[in-house]
Amino acid sequence: MCMLEHREVIWILVKKDFKIRYRNSALGFLWSLLNPLSMMVILTLVFSLLLRVGIQNFPIFLLAALLPWRFFQIGTMQSTGSIAGNPSLVKKIYLPRYLLVLTSNLASFVSFLIEFVAFLPIMIALGMTVTIHILLLPAIMIIEFLVVLGISLALSALNIFYRDFYQIWEIALQLGFFLSPVFYDPSIIPERYQFYYSLNPMTKIIESTRKVLFHNVLPTVFDLAVPLLAAIILLTIGYGIFRRLEPRFAEVT
Amino acid sequence: MNVIEVEDVWKKFKIPHERRATVLDTIASTLSLFGGRRSTFEEFWALRNVTFEVPKGRSIGIIGENGSGKTTLLRLIANVMKPDQGRIHVDGRVAPMLELGLGFNPELTVRENIVVFGAIMGLKRNELRKQTDSIIKFAELKRFEDAPLKTLSSGMQMRLGFSVAIETNPDIFLIDEALAVGDMEFQQKCLSKFKEFKNSGKTIVLVSHALDLVKEFCESSLLLSRGEVINFGETGTVVNDYIRRVHGP
Repeated sequence: MCMLEHREVIWILVKKDFKIRYRNSALGFLWSLLNPLSMMVILTLVFSLLLRVGIQNFPIFLLAALLPWRFFQIGTMQSTGSIAGNPSLVKKIYLPRYLLVLTSNLASFVSFLIEFVAFLPIMIALGMTVTIHILLLPAIMIIEFLVVLGISLALSALNIFYRDFYQIWEIALQLGFFLSPVFYDPSIIPERYQFYYSLNPMTKIIESTRKVLFHNVLPTVFDLAVPLLAAIILLTIGYGIFRRLEPRFAEVT
Repeated sequence: MNVIEVEDVWKKFKIPHERRATVLDTIASTLSLFGGRRSTFEEFWALRNVTFEVPKGRSIGIIGENGSGKTTLLRLIANVMKPDQGRIHVDGRVAPMLELGLGFNPELTVRENIVVFGAIMGLKRNELRKQTDSIIKFAELKRFEDAPLKTLSSGMQMRLGFSVAIETNPDIFLIDEALAVGDMEFQQKCLSKFKEFKNSGKTIVLVSHALDLVKEFCESSLLLSRGEVINFGETGTVVNDYIRRVHGP
Protein backbone atom coordinates (compact mmCIF):
# COMPACT_ATOMS: atom_id res chain seq x y z
CA MET A 1 0.00 0.00 0.00
CA CYS A 2 1.41 3.36 -1.01
CA MET A 3 0.47 4.96 2.31
CA LEU A 4 3.20 2.93 4.05
CA GLU A 5 5.79 4.08 1.56
CA HIS A 6 4.89 7.67 2.44
CA ARG A 7 4.87 7.22 6.20
CA GLU A 8 7.92 9.42 6.68
CA VAL A 9 6.36 12.32 4.75
CA ILE A 10 3.03 11.78 6.49
CA TRP A 11 4.64 12.04 9.90
CA ILE A 12 6.53 15.21 9.01
CA LEU A 13 3.48 16.84 7.43
CA VAL A 14 1.40 16.04 10.52
CA LYS A 15 4.01 17.73 12.68
CA LYS A 16 4.06 20.72 10.33
CA ASP A 17 0.27 21.00 10.47
CA PHE A 18 0.37 20.90 14.23
CA LYS A 19 3.05 23.57 14.45
CA ILE A 20 1.27 25.93 12.09
CA ARG A 21 -2.04 25.59 13.92
CA TYR A 22 -0.61 26.80 17.19
CA ARG A 23 2.07 29.16 15.92
CA ASN A 24 1.82 32.78 17.02
CA SER A 25 -0.44 31.93 19.92
CA ALA A 26 0.81 32.24 23.47
CA LEU A 27 -1.27 29.45 24.96
CA GLY A 28 -0.94 27.21 21.89
CA PHE A 29 -2.33 23.76 22.46
CA LEU A 30 -3.90 24.82 25.77
CA TRP A 31 -6.71 26.36 23.71
CA SER A 32 -7.62 22.86 22.64
CA LEU A 33 -8.34 22.08 26.27
CA LEU A 34 -9.82 25.42 27.35
CA ASN A 35 -12.38 25.34 24.58
CA PRO A 36 -14.13 22.07 25.56
CA LEU A 37 -13.69 22.95 29.23
CA SER A 38 -15.60 26.21 28.81
CA MET A 39 -18.23 24.44 26.66
CA MET A 40 -18.63 21.90 29.44
CA VAL A 41 -19.13 24.58 32.07
CA ILE A 42 -21.57 26.59 29.95
CA LEU A 43 -23.68 23.64 28.80
CA THR A 44 -23.75 22.13 32.28
CA LEU A 45 -24.95 25.44 33.70
CA VAL A 46 -27.64 25.78 31.06
CA PHE A 47 -28.95 22.24 30.90
CA SER A 48 -28.29 20.90 34.34
CA LEU A 49 -28.92 23.92 36.54
CA LEU A 50 -31.24 26.19 34.55
CA LEU A 51 -33.29 23.78 32.46
CA ARG A 52 -32.92 20.90 34.92
CA VAL A 53 -32.86 18.10 32.30
CA GLY A 54 -32.29 15.65 35.12
CA ILE A 55 -29.40 13.65 33.72
CA GLN A 56 -27.19 12.37 36.50
CA ASN A 57 -23.58 13.46 36.24
CA PHE A 58 -24.20 15.74 33.29
CA PRO A 59 -20.55 16.86 32.78
CA ILE A 60 -19.42 13.30 32.03
CA PHE A 61 -22.51 12.64 29.92
CA LEU A 62 -21.59 15.75 27.94
CA LEU A 63 -17.83 15.27 27.65
CA ALA A 64 -18.23 11.73 26.32
CA ALA A 65 -20.05 13.29 23.37
CA LEU A 66 -18.38 16.66 23.12
CA LEU A 67 -14.86 15.34 22.49
CA PRO A 68 -15.79 13.10 19.50
CA TRP A 69 -18.02 15.88 18.18
CA ARG A 70 -15.15 18.36 18.37
CA PHE A 71 -12.96 16.00 16.37
CA PHE A 72 -15.66 15.68 13.74
CA GLN A 73 -16.11 19.44 13.57
CA ILE A 74 -12.45 20.50 13.66
CA GLY A 75 -11.23 17.61 11.51
CA THR A 76 -13.61 18.37 8.64
CA MET A 77 -13.30 22.16 8.91
CA GLN A 78 -9.50 22.24 8.99
CA SER A 79 -9.10 19.84 6.11
CA THR A 80 -11.58 21.70 3.90
CA GLY A 81 -8.85 24.28 3.39
CA SER A 82 -6.00 21.79 3.34
CA ILE A 83 -5.57 21.91 -0.45
CA ALA A 84 -6.63 25.51 -1.06
CA GLY A 85 -4.52 26.68 1.87
CA ASN A 86 -1.34 25.03 0.64
CA PRO A 87 -0.90 26.50 -2.83
CA SER A 88 2.87 26.16 -2.77
CA LEU A 89 2.71 22.42 -2.09
CA VAL A 90 0.13 22.00 -4.84
CA LYS A 91 1.68 24.18 -7.53
CA LYS A 92 5.38 23.78 -7.04
CA ILE A 93 6.15 20.23 -6.18
CA TYR A 94 4.61 16.85 -6.70
CA LEU A 95 3.31 14.83 -3.85
CA PRO A 96 0.14 12.77 -3.85
CA ARG A 97 -2.43 15.44 -2.93
CA TYR A 98 -4.60 13.23 -0.81
CA LEU A 99 -1.70 13.23 1.68
CA LEU A 100 -2.47 16.87 2.47
CA VAL A 101 -6.02 15.94 3.47
CA LEU A 102 -4.94 12.82 5.31
CA THR A 103 -2.27 14.63 7.32
CA SER A 104 -4.63 17.47 8.22
CA ASN A 105 -7.09 14.87 9.55
CA LEU A 106 -4.32 13.05 11.39
CA ALA A 107 -3.23 16.29 13.09
CA SER A 108 -6.81 16.84 14.28
CA PHE A 109 -6.95 13.22 15.39
CA VAL A 110 -3.79 13.56 17.47
CA SER A 111 -5.30 16.67 19.03
CA PHE A 112 -8.43 14.66 19.83
CA LEU A 113 -6.41 11.91 21.48
CA ILE A 114 -4.48 14.40 23.62
CA GLU A 115 -7.72 16.13 24.62
CA PHE A 116 -9.16 12.79 25.56
CA VAL A 117 -6.17 11.78 27.66
CA ALA A 118 -6.23 15.19 29.36
CA PHE A 119 -9.93 14.99 30.17
CA LEU A 120 -9.90 11.41 31.39
CA PRO A 121 -8.61 12.32 34.88
CA ILE A 122 -11.17 15.14 35.07
CA MET A 123 -13.95 12.72 34.16
CA ILE A 124 -12.73 10.23 36.74
CA ALA A 125 -12.53 12.97 39.36
CA LEU A 126 -16.13 13.89 38.53
CA GLY A 127 -17.21 10.35 39.26
CA MET A 128 -16.77 8.32 36.07
CA THR A 129 -16.03 4.64 36.50
CA VAL A 130 -13.56 3.10 34.08
CA THR A 131 -14.62 -0.35 32.89
CA ILE A 132 -13.13 -2.93 30.56
CA HIS A 133 -15.46 -1.57 27.84
CA ILE A 134 -13.09 1.33 27.36
CA LEU A 135 -10.92 -1.02 25.28
CA LEU A 136 -13.51 -0.66 22.53
CA LEU A 137 -12.89 3.07 22.33
CA PRO A 138 -9.99 2.93 19.82
CA ALA A 139 -12.23 1.06 17.38
CA ILE A 140 -14.93 3.71 17.67
CA MET A 141 -12.35 6.45 17.20
CA ILE A 142 -10.95 4.81 14.07
CA ILE A 143 -14.42 4.48 12.56
CA GLU A 144 -14.97 8.17 13.24
CA PHE A 145 -11.61 8.98 11.65
CA LEU A 146 -12.68 7.19 8.45
CA VAL A 147 -15.98 9.10 8.40
CA VAL A 148 -14.07 12.37 8.79
CA LEU A 149 -11.58 11.40 6.07
CA GLY A 150 -14.34 10.55 3.59
CA ILE A 151 -16.10 13.88 4.11
CA SER A 152 -12.79 15.79 4.10
CA LEU A 153 -11.70 14.35 0.74
CA ALA A 154 -14.91 15.56 -0.88
CA LEU A 155 -14.94 18.98 0.81
CA SER A 156 -11.27 19.81 0.26
CA ALA A 157 -11.56 19.09 -3.47
CA LEU A 158 -14.87 20.91 -3.94
CA ASN A 159 -13.58 23.87 -1.94
CA ILE A 160 -10.88 24.50 -4.55
CA PHE A 161 -13.47 25.26 -7.17
CA TYR A 162 -16.09 26.86 -4.96
CA ARG A 163 -14.96 28.47 -1.73
CA ASP A 164 -18.62 28.46 -0.69
CA PHE A 165 -18.31 24.90 0.50
CA TYR A 166 -16.45 26.14 3.54
CA GLN A 167 -19.39 28.33 4.55
CA ILE A 168 -21.94 25.70 3.64
CA TRP A 169 -20.17 23.14 5.77
CA GLU A 170 -19.93 25.56 8.67
CA ILE A 171 -23.73 25.91 8.65
CA ALA A 172 -24.16 22.16 8.25
CA LEU A 173 -22.01 21.64 11.33
CA GLN A 174 -24.09 24.07 13.38
CA LEU A 175 -27.14 22.08 12.39
CA GLY A 176 -25.31 18.83 13.02
CA PHE A 177 -24.51 19.86 16.58
CA PHE A 178 -28.23 19.86 17.34
CA LEU A 179 -29.00 16.82 15.18
CA SER A 180 -26.44 14.72 17.03
CA PRO A 181 -26.97 13.60 20.61
CA VAL A 182 -24.27 15.85 22.07
CA PHE A 183 -26.14 17.48 24.96
CA TYR A 184 -29.27 15.30 25.08
CA ASP A 185 -30.15 11.63 25.11
CA PRO A 186 -31.22 10.20 21.72
CA SER A 187 -34.28 8.64 23.37
CA ILE A 188 -35.99 12.07 23.27
CA ILE A 189 -36.27 11.75 19.48
CA PRO A 190 -39.77 10.43 18.54
CA GLU A 191 -39.85 6.78 17.49
CA ARG A 192 -40.92 7.45 13.89
CA TYR A 193 -37.90 9.70 13.26
CA GLN A 194 -35.40 7.35 14.89
CA PHE A 195 -34.45 5.68 11.61
CA TYR A 196 -33.64 8.94 9.85
CA TYR A 197 -31.95 10.19 12.96
CA SER A 198 -29.54 7.26 13.02
CA LEU A 199 -28.54 7.90 9.38
CA ASN A 200 -26.33 10.66 10.74
CA PRO A 201 -23.08 8.73 11.25
CA MET A 202 -22.23 10.87 14.28
CA THR A 203 -25.36 9.68 16.11
CA LYS A 204 -24.12 6.14 16.57
CA ILE A 205 -20.51 7.18 17.09
CA ILE A 206 -21.52 9.47 19.96
CA GLU A 207 -23.96 6.91 21.35
CA SER A 208 -21.30 4.20 21.32
CA THR A 209 -18.74 6.44 23.02
CA ARG A 210 -21.28 7.38 25.63
CA LYS A 211 -22.23 3.75 26.26
CA VAL A 212 -18.59 2.93 26.88
CA LEU A 213 -17.73 5.94 29.05
CA PHE A 214 -20.98 6.86 30.73
CA HIS A 215 -23.51 4.03 30.72
CA ASN A 216 -20.83 1.37 31.13
CA VAL A 217 -22.42 -1.01 28.65
CA LEU A 218 -21.13 -2.48 25.40
CA PRO A 219 -22.32 -0.88 22.15
CA THR A 220 -24.33 -3.28 20.01
CA VAL A 221 -23.03 -4.59 16.69
CA PHE A 222 -25.63 -2.38 15.04
CA ASP A 223 -24.25 0.68 16.83
CA LEU A 224 -20.87 0.14 15.19
CA ALA A 225 -22.03 -1.30 11.86
CA VAL A 226 -24.01 1.81 10.92
CA PRO A 227 -21.12 4.31 11.16
CA LEU A 228 -18.70 1.80 9.64
CA LEU A 229 -20.97 1.39 6.63
CA ALA A 230 -21.33 5.17 6.46
CA ALA A 231 -17.54 5.49 6.55
CA ILE A 232 -17.13 3.09 3.64
CA ILE A 233 -19.76 4.89 1.57
CA LEU A 234 -18.35 8.34 2.40
CA LEU A 235 -14.80 7.24 1.60
CA THR A 236 -15.87 5.82 -1.75
CA ILE A 237 -17.78 8.95 -2.73
CA GLY A 238 -15.21 11.32 -1.23
CA TYR A 239 -12.25 9.68 -2.93
CA GLY A 240 -14.22 9.50 -6.19
CA ILE A 241 -14.84 13.26 -6.15
CA PHE A 242 -11.25 13.92 -5.14
CA ARG A 243 -9.78 11.82 -7.95
CA ARG A 244 -12.03 13.43 -10.50
CA LEU A 245 -11.13 16.99 -9.54
CA GLU A 246 -7.46 16.45 -8.68
CA PRO A 247 -5.93 16.92 -12.17
CA ARG A 248 -7.00 20.58 -12.18
CA PHE A 249 -5.91 21.49 -8.65
CA ALA A 250 -2.69 23.19 -9.74
CA GLU A 251 -4.53 25.27 -12.33
CA VAL A 252 -7.10 26.66 -9.94
CA THR A 253 -5.39 27.14 -6.57
CA MET B 1 18.53 5.82 -22.42
CA ASN B 2 16.37 8.91 -21.93
CA VAL B 3 15.72 10.58 -18.58
CA ILE B 4 12.90 12.71 -19.93
CA GLU B 5 10.56 11.79 -22.75
CA VAL B 6 7.86 14.16 -23.85
CA GLU B 7 5.65 12.76 -26.56
CA ASP B 8 3.01 14.69 -28.47
CA VAL B 9 1.96 16.71 -25.42
CA TRP B 10 -0.96 19.13 -25.52
CA LYS B 11 -2.07 21.33 -22.66
CA LYS B 12 -5.19 23.43 -22.56
CA PHE B 13 -6.19 26.20 -20.15
CA LYS B 14 -9.51 27.88 -19.70
CA ILE B 15 -9.51 31.65 -19.42
CA PRO B 16 -12.79 32.77 -17.91
CA HIS B 17 -14.15 36.03 -19.24
CA GLU B 18 -16.31 36.54 -16.25
CA ARG B 19 -15.13 34.64 -13.26
CA ARG B 20 -17.72 32.46 -11.65
CA ALA B 21 -16.33 31.94 -8.22
CA THR B 22 -19.34 31.01 -6.13
CA VAL B 23 -22.02 28.36 -6.34
CA LEU B 24 -24.66 31.06 -6.55
CA ASP B 25 -22.98 32.56 -9.62
CA THR B 26 -23.01 29.17 -11.26
CA ILE B 27 -26.66 28.63 -10.48
CA ALA B 28 -27.44 32.12 -11.71
CA SER B 29 -25.60 31.64 -14.95
CA THR B 30 -27.09 28.18 -15.46
CA LEU B 31 -30.56 29.61 -14.95
CA SER B 32 -29.76 32.36 -17.38
CA LEU B 33 -29.53 29.68 -20.04
CA PHE B 34 -33.17 30.53 -20.32
CA GLY B 35 -32.48 33.97 -21.60
CA GLY B 36 -29.83 35.82 -19.62
CA ARG B 37 -26.22 36.66 -20.02
CA ARG B 38 -23.97 33.64 -19.68
CA SER B 39 -20.46 33.78 -18.45
CA THR B 40 -18.11 32.43 -21.07
CA PHE B 41 -14.58 31.23 -21.22
CA GLU B 42 -11.97 30.94 -23.86
CA GLU B 43 -9.96 27.83 -24.42
CA PHE B 44 -6.34 28.41 -24.87
CA TRP B 45 -3.71 25.89 -25.88
CA ALA B 46 -0.63 26.57 -23.79
CA LEU B 47 1.25 23.71 -25.42
CA ARG B 48 0.63 22.10 -28.77
CA ASN B 49 2.13 18.92 -30.06
CA VAL B 50 5.33 19.15 -28.05
CA THR B 51 7.77 16.28 -28.51
CA PHE B 52 11.38 15.97 -27.39
CA GLU B 53 13.64 13.83 -25.30
CA VAL B 54 16.63 14.30 -23.04
CA PRO B 55 19.19 11.47 -22.95
CA LYS B 56 20.86 10.56 -19.68
CA GLY B 57 23.66 12.88 -18.61
CA ARG B 58 22.61 15.72 -20.88
CA SER B 59 20.99 19.05 -20.07
CA ILE B 60 18.42 20.99 -21.96
CA GLY B 61 17.52 24.68 -22.18
CA ILE B 62 14.02 25.92 -22.86
CA ILE B 63 13.82 29.37 -24.42
CA GLY B 64 11.17 31.56 -25.99
CA GLU B 65 9.19 34.74 -25.45
CA ASN B 66 6.91 35.36 -22.42
CA GLY B 67 3.78 33.27 -22.59
CA SER B 68 5.27 30.73 -24.97
CA GLY B 69 4.61 27.83 -22.61
CA LYS B 70 8.01 27.34 -20.97
CA THR B 71 6.81 27.29 -17.39
CA THR B 72 3.81 25.15 -18.25
CA LEU B 73 6.13 22.62 -19.82
CA LEU B 74 8.30 22.62 -16.71
CA ARG B 75 5.23 22.07 -14.53
CA LEU B 76 4.21 19.10 -16.63
CA ILE B 77 7.68 17.59 -16.28
CA ALA B 78 7.48 18.20 -12.51
CA ASN B 79 4.15 16.29 -12.53
CA VAL B 80 2.41 19.22 -10.90
CA MET B 81 0.03 19.44 -13.86
CA LYS B 82 -1.27 16.77 -16.19
CA PRO B 83 -1.26 17.07 -19.99
CA ASP B 84 -4.59 16.92 -21.82
CA GLN B 85 -3.06 14.70 -24.45
CA GLY B 86 0.21 12.93 -24.91
CA ARG B 87 2.66 11.22 -22.61
CA ILE B 88 5.45 12.36 -20.32
CA HIS B 89 7.95 9.97 -18.86
CA VAL B 90 10.51 11.07 -16.30
CA ASP B 91 13.12 8.74 -14.92
CA GLY B 92 14.58 9.70 -11.55
CA ARG B 93 14.07 12.09 -8.67
CA VAL B 94 13.04 15.57 -9.75
CA ALA B 95 13.81 18.74 -7.81
CA PRO B 96 11.63 21.45 -9.29
CA MET B 97 12.48 25.06 -8.65
CA LEU B 98 9.50 26.85 -10.09
CA GLU B 99 9.09 30.58 -9.56
CA LEU B 100 11.86 30.75 -6.97
CA GLY B 101 10.28 28.38 -4.51
CA LEU B 102 10.10 24.73 -3.69
CA GLY B 103 6.77 24.58 -1.96
CA PHE B 104 8.05 26.30 1.15
CA ASN B 105 5.72 27.46 3.86
CA PRO B 106 6.18 31.10 4.95
CA GLU B 107 5.17 30.38 8.54
CA LEU B 108 7.74 27.65 9.11
CA THR B 109 11.35 28.36 9.93
CA VAL B 110 14.23 27.75 7.54
CA ARG B 111 15.12 24.51 9.30
CA GLU B 112 11.53 23.23 9.36
CA ASN B 113 11.08 23.99 5.68
CA ILE B 114 14.19 21.99 4.86
CA VAL B 115 12.80 19.02 6.78
CA VAL B 116 9.43 19.18 5.01
CA PHE B 117 10.96 19.49 1.56
CA GLY B 118 13.50 16.76 2.23
CA ALA B 119 10.75 14.39 3.32
CA ILE B 120 8.72 15.13 0.19
CA MET B 121 11.83 14.41 -1.85
CA GLY B 122 11.96 11.03 -0.18
CA LEU B 123 15.01 11.48 2.05
CA LYS B 124 15.25 9.28 5.11
CA ARG B 125 15.36 11.01 8.47
CA ASN B 126 19.02 10.30 9.20
CA GLU B 127 20.08 11.36 5.69
CA LEU B 128 18.14 14.54 6.20
CA ARG B 129 19.74 15.35 9.53
CA LYS B 130 23.18 15.13 7.96
CA GLN B 131 22.11 17.24 4.99
CA THR B 132 20.41 20.07 6.89
CA ASP B 133 23.56 21.75 8.16
CA SER B 134 25.30 21.70 4.82
CA ILE B 135 22.18 23.18 3.19
CA ILE B 136 22.10 26.06 5.68
CA LYS B 137 25.82 26.61 5.25
CA PHE B 138 25.64 26.71 1.47
CA ALA B 139 22.72 29.14 1.60
CA GLU B 140 24.66 31.27 4.11
CA LEU B 141 21.66 31.39 6.38
CA LYS B 142 23.17 30.23 9.65
CA ARG B 143 21.94 33.32 11.48
CA PHE B 144 18.42 32.85 10.16
CA GLU B 145 17.99 29.11 10.59
CA ASP B 146 15.25 29.48 13.20
CA ALA B 147 13.53 32.47 11.65
CA PRO B 148 10.19 32.05 9.88
CA LEU B 149 10.66 32.02 6.13
CA LYS B 150 8.40 35.04 5.66
CA THR B 151 10.98 37.24 7.38
CA LEU B 152 13.65 36.46 4.78
CA SER B 153 14.32 38.58 1.71
CA SER B 154 13.46 37.13 -1.68
CA GLY B 155 17.15 36.71 -2.44
CA MET B 156 17.62 34.70 0.74
CA GLN B 157 14.61 32.53 -0.08
CA MET B 158 16.04 31.85 -3.51
CA ARG B 159 19.36 30.87 -1.94
CA LEU B 160 17.60 28.50 0.38
CA GLY B 161 15.59 27.02 -2.47
CA PHE B 162 18.65 26.47 -4.57
CA SER B 163 20.66 24.93 -1.74
CA VAL B 164 17.88 22.58 -0.71
CA ALA B 165 17.22 21.49 -4.26
CA ILE B 166 20.85 20.74 -5.02
CA GLU B 167 21.77 19.18 -1.68
CA THR B 168 18.86 16.74 -1.59
CA ASN B 169 20.67 15.05 -4.43
CA PRO B 170 18.08 14.88 -7.22
CA ASP B 171 18.64 13.21 -10.60
CA ILE B 172 16.94 15.99 -12.50
CA PHE B 173 16.97 19.66 -11.58
CA LEU B 174 14.28 21.87 -13.07
CA ILE B 175 15.01 25.59 -12.83
CA ASP B 176 12.77 28.42 -13.90
CA GLU B 177 14.65 31.74 -14.05
CA ALA B 178 15.91 31.21 -10.55
CA LEU B 179 19.33 32.73 -10.45
CA ALA B 180 18.33 36.24 -11.37
CA VAL B 181 17.55 37.24 -7.76
CA GLY B 182 20.85 36.11 -6.26
CA ASP B 183 23.78 38.43 -5.86
CA MET B 184 26.88 37.97 -8.03
CA GLU B 185 28.83 36.03 -5.45
CA PHE B 186 26.06 33.53 -4.88
CA GLN B 187 25.50 33.19 -8.63
CA GLN B 188 29.14 32.19 -8.98
CA LYS B 189 28.71 29.59 -6.25
CA CYS B 190 25.62 28.24 -7.99
CA LEU B 191 27.36 28.02 -11.33
CA SER B 192 30.19 25.96 -9.91
CA LYS B 193 27.61 23.71 -8.20
CA PHE B 194 25.88 23.39 -11.54
CA LYS B 195 29.09 22.22 -13.15
CA GLU B 196 29.66 19.67 -10.42
CA PHE B 197 26.08 18.48 -10.79
CA LYS B 198 26.37 18.17 -14.55
CA ASN B 199 29.73 16.44 -14.37
CA SER B 200 28.25 13.75 -12.16
CA GLY B 201 26.05 12.79 -15.11
CA LYS B 202 22.85 14.43 -13.99
CA THR B 203 20.30 16.47 -15.89
CA ILE B 204 19.44 20.14 -15.70
CA VAL B 205 16.36 21.54 -17.39
CA LEU B 206 16.88 25.27 -17.55
CA VAL B 207 14.24 27.82 -18.46
CA SER B 208 15.96 31.12 -18.91
CA HIS B 209 16.22 34.35 -20.80
CA ALA B 210 19.91 34.45 -19.92
CA LEU B 211 21.05 32.94 -23.20
CA ASP B 212 24.71 32.80 -22.17
CA LEU B 213 23.79 30.59 -19.26
CA VAL B 214 21.82 28.28 -21.53
CA LYS B 215 24.76 28.10 -23.93
CA GLU B 216 27.12 27.27 -21.11
CA PHE B 217 25.16 24.44 -19.52
CA CYS B 218 22.84 22.91 -22.06
CA GLU B 219 23.93 20.73 -24.96
CA SER B 220 20.54 20.99 -26.60
CA SER B 221 17.74 23.52 -26.48
CA LEU B 222 14.09 23.83 -27.25
CA LEU B 223 12.66 27.02 -28.72
CA LEU B 224 8.98 27.54 -27.99
CA SER B 225 6.62 30.08 -29.45
CA ARG B 226 2.92 30.21 -28.67
CA GLY B 227 3.01 26.72 -27.30
CA GLU B 228 4.67 25.11 -30.29
CA VAL B 229 8.16 23.80 -30.78
CA ILE B 230 9.85 26.06 -33.32
CA ASN B 231 13.24 24.51 -33.10
CA PHE B 232 14.88 21.71 -31.16
CA GLY B 233 18.52 20.82 -31.47
CA GLU B 234 22.05 21.86 -30.64
CA THR B 235 21.97 24.92 -28.35
CA GLY B 236 24.13 27.26 -30.48
CA THR B 237 21.89 26.85 -33.50
CA VAL B 238 18.64 27.17 -31.55
CA VAL B 239 19.81 30.29 -29.69
CA ASN B 240 20.89 31.91 -32.96
CA ASP B 241 17.54 31.06 -34.47
CA TYR B 242 15.80 32.74 -31.51
CA ILE B 243 17.94 35.87 -31.78
CA ARG B 244 17.30 36.05 -35.54
CA ARG B 245 13.56 35.80 -34.95
CA VAL B 246 13.61 38.62 -32.41
CA HIS B 247 15.87 41.00 -34.29
CA GLY B 248 14.86 40.05 -37.79
CA PRO B 249 17.31 38.63 -40.33
